[in-house]
Amino acid sequence: MWMGVWLAVIGLALGIALGLNLPFTIPQAYAKYMSVAALAALDSVFGGIRAAMEDHYDNKIFITGFFSNALLAAGLAFIGERLGIDLYLAAVVAFGVRLFQNLAIIRRHLLKK
Amino acid sequence: MNKSMYLSIGVITMILGVMLAVQFRTNRFIEQSVPADRAQELQVEYSKLEKDIRKFDREIEDLTYKLEQAKKGQMQAREAIQDELKKARINAGLVTVSGPGIEVVMDNPPSQSRRNSIFIIRDVDLLRVVNELWGAGAEAVSINGQRMISTSEIRQAGSFININLERIEPPFQILAIGSPEKLKSALEISGGLADYFKDLGIVVKIQSHSSLTVPAYSKSLQFNYAKAVWKG
Repeated sequence: MWMGVWLAVIGLALGIALGLNLPFTIPQAYAKYMSVAALAALDSVFGGIRAAMEDHYDNKIFITGFFSNALLAAGLAFIGERLGIDLYLAAVVAFGVRLFQNLAIIRRHLLKK
Repeated sequence: MNKSMYLSIGVITMILGVMLAVQFRTNRFIEQSVPADRAQELQVEYSKLEKDIRKFDREIEDLTYKLEQAKKGQMQAREAIQDELKKARINAGLVTVSGPGIEVVMDNPPSQSRRNSIFIIRDVDLLRVVNELWGAGAEAVSINGQRMISTSEIRQAGSFININLERIEPPFQILAIGSPEKLKSALEISGGLADYFKDLGIVVKIQSHSSLTVPAYSKSLQFNYAKAVWKG
């Protein structure tokens, strides 16, 4: 269990180091979609940590959830832009609420130990 | 099972880290640079200005073409006016002209005294000759270098004759441009002026020339009272 957390932290640090040193940035027009996708991905990871603590972690669900959430959030923002509705707000609110829920549950699991 | 779980956690968190870092850098980049809306606005404005430039270029071409046409028209008009002016100057006698014509030389009777006024050439005699020449279609006439124009006078002034306010003396050389045959026959017709002068004893010599030159009116024309009236 703790090994998974350490692995996640190491992966995150590695990814951030890699991202900061990559020679490219995203075009401005796509930055908005990328931000929503990042939020969804963050939510997915916290969801995965929570699942692992509740002992019903499923690798497939975790991986597909990660990618489908990110893509869905970005697609929603894109469609919203085309329709003239700020649909990315829906993604921000939904994933933000879930993020806090997941965090709360993880906190409780950690305190119960 | 455990291995793949750890692997996927590592990979996924790494992807997340990359996403977050790239997003962070992109946001910082956006803050530093021109906002997307502004860039788009400028792009639109730029393309509009380019279109304007093309439009104005076409307008320049069009106007240049029109200007050229106008210049061409002006040139033609100027040529026509100068042509007209040349004609008018010839008509008015302000230009030296040359062409076929006759030369009439009249002199007083050689042995006669100058004081005998009946037998010397008077203004009226010259007037009659000039009149006859005009009548026979002369286009330009001069007497002793004085061009006959519309306001020329032939006037007796004492024992001299004034033409164009200049005193002239015998022998009188009259040059007339026109059809030489017509001019000659007008004077030499039987009972005409030549006969009349010969009867008086005046020496008259008439010669046709294929080309002679009649000088221009040398003074300036002044119209202080007459004003042109344009009709139509």
